Amino acid sequence: MKVLVAVKRVIDYNVKVRVKPDQSGVDLDNVKMAMNPFCEIAVEEAVRLKEKGLASEVIVVSIGTAASQEQIRTALALGADRGLLIETDEEVQPLDAAKLLKAVVEQEQPGLVILGKQSIDSDNNQTGQMLAALTGMGQATFASAVEVTDDRVQVTREVDGGLMTLSLKLPAVITTDLRLNEPRYASLPNIMKAKKKPVAVTTADELGLALSPRLKTLKVEAPEPRKAGIKVADVAALVDKLKNEAKVI
Amino acid sequence: MRRPGARDDSMTLTSGSADALKTLFGKDFVDGRSADAAGYGADSNRYYKAQPGAVVFPRTVQQVQELVKLANRQNLALVPSGGRTGLSGAASATAGEVVVAFDRMTRIGEVNMTDRLVECEAGVVTQQLHEAAARAGLHYPVDFASSGSSRIGGNIATNAGGIKVTRYGLTRDWVAGLEVVTGRGDVLQLNRGLIKNATGYDLRQLFIGSEGTLGFITSALMRLTVPPKNLQVMLLAFKDIDALMAASAQFRRELPVTAFEFFCQNGLQKVLEKSAREAPFDTAYPFYGLLEFEAPYESVLEDAMDLFESLSDSGQVADAVLAQSGRQAADLWFLRESLSETLSHFMPYKNDLSVQLADVPAFMARIDACVAQHYPDFCVVWFGHIGDGNLHLNILKPADLAAAEFKARCERVNADIFACVQAFGGSISAEHGVGLQKKNFLGYSRSAEEIAMMRAVKAAFDPNGIMNPGKVLPD
Repeated sequence: MKVLVAVKRVIDYNVKVRVKPDQSGVDLDNVKMAMNPFCEIAVEEAVRLKEKGLASEVIVVSIGTAASQEQIRTALALGADRGLLIETDEEVQPLDAAKLLKAVVEQEQPGLVILGKQSIDSDNNQTGQMLAALTGMGQATFASAVEVTDDRVQVTREVDGGLMTLSLKLPAVITTDLRLNEPRYASLPNIMKAKKKPVAVTTADELGLALSPRLKTLKVEAPEPRKAGIKVADVAALVDKLKNEAKVI
Repeated sequence: MRRPGARDDSMTLTSGSADALKTLFGKDFVDGRSADAAGYGADSNRYYKAQPGAVVFPRTVQQVQELVKLANRQNLALVPSGGRTGLSGAASATAGEVVVAFDRMTRIGEVNMTDRLVECEAGVVTQQLHEAAARAGLHYPVDFASSGSSRIGGNIATNAGGIKVTRYGLTRDWVAGLEVVTGRGDVLQLNRGLIKNATGYDLRQLFIGSEGTLGFITSALMRLTVPPKNLQVMLLAFKDIDALMAASAQFRRELPVTAFEFFCQNGLQKVLEKSAREAPFDTAYPFYGLLEFEAPYESVLEDAMDLFESLSDSGQVADAVLAQSGRQAADLWFLRESLSETLSHFMPYKNDLSVQLADVPAFMARIDACVAQHYPDFCVVWFGHIGDGNLHLNILKPADLAAAEFKARCERVNADIFACVQAFGGSISAEHGVGLQKKNFLGYSRSAEEIAMMRAVKAAFDPNGIMNPGKVLPD
């Protein structure tokens, strides 16, 4: 069984994001970029399936600028077998991403597609679901445990009330939640080996598609800075403020 | 006349002196026994009990000067207080001294972009300086675990080091000018931000690392630099300390290294257990090195990879991982930075030592052998800034040993360890300072003649011995 993993290049989780002065977006100049943390978890899960002998090949795909090759190389260093970059300088919205991934699914015929549940830049949480709908595959989102047996996959999901367990027929789409696994570090020998693994580059055009963003960003604003705390004189004043100002009691 | 540096029991606060202080400080005077004085008069060394006579919070250099003059007239002992993150008891007021807390002198000036200087009052928190530099697109490179609490005055008075010394040096290297009030009550403006200044004795350097015994730093001109670009963090595993030291030397020769830290397996084990994190490698190795380097160009990263390839081919590096994101870099740093906190639960006996880099393996072997021979039930954990020869020796208290007995036995270990440091020409305090804790061991690192000169310097700046008495110089 082939496993296809989608990874996205985003602003590094540890970087303090700054809004551009003209409010058209966030500043990406000289900002450290990294693989979306949920995608790291997806790669780790796929590699673990391969290590258990349940997957034959792990293919990692990214959609974005040429620089996204870095994230593909990271995935290869973590244990993926080969990479595919769908190169574009355009903004990629979830529906376009799902359509492009569908084209890759048709080419590669994976038994399982694993994606992060959302990317930490746009926070859409849509691509996995759209891909499942477009391909007609079953979907299990927010996975916290994945178990593959023969032609089925059992997925534990984190839902509001607790845990839900689904059993899906393969092929299927899984999106990862934070507690699914703890991604490993890329070891030096594996980083070296990753350099020799193949990465193919294609475009939307070559896949017979054209990007058609439907959403327009009107304005991006930084959240209100947190106000400094105040000291109250006594308990009565505290209760009064909680009741009448904060309205929490 | 008493010996310079000694404390005099007559230097306690009388009600007359307290009134004079109240007149000078108004609401910025706090009685040493009041709740508002809690926390003052002690640093992060929990051994010395705080008993300040009073705490005062000056707001200007003039006030500090008036205070010192008053202290000279009335024979008051003054103890400076910054972020109180020191570990040697240098900011301890244990016998009714007046604590001079710089909490209200926190002004930070505009960054001078031409000279890359910024003026900080003594109470500026280190992190504030980091942030001010970053806002100007610049960088203040001295950094350590306590930078969110420690203050610039204290950093300078202890010549603080930390995790980036191998690349950026000590606090000393970033002080371009100092404003100090000497023990005589004089205000000196030292060096005034100059790079070149060949006009005789550089008094600024005497105040750096003086632990408040010559005078108080009220303001400093700090030098800034350009921020590092594209930092890479790697954790390397080594089979022995010789391999680690050899690799460290090679990295520093061939890469723009910003930090090289080390820790041993038993330390890592404790951190992993406490934090419930997964081990960075499948196999355990005796020593780990945390390497951080700057890779401003792709070619640097490629060179680094080639270097690691050759080191791992030759077996010098047993295994290595490279952080792929800021989060992974932070996770790797966590393994090193949480060591001190993790070990604190074992009430460790701690020592902060340094020797020349070339002597590190032999020195560690000697200490290990000494502890194993005389104290076989003690567990030794090593970690530290090995890129600059600074080793933190931690001996953990065996669970079944009473704290008091452990402490008493550690006092005996001290002499053995310091004798070993002396044999290697090392330092009994690499970066934590002398304070109260190590003053009577000073002779292991400084000769009698040196100490006599230190006393003479102290007498010149502080003839009445009112500035942080009883610290640094031996009894």
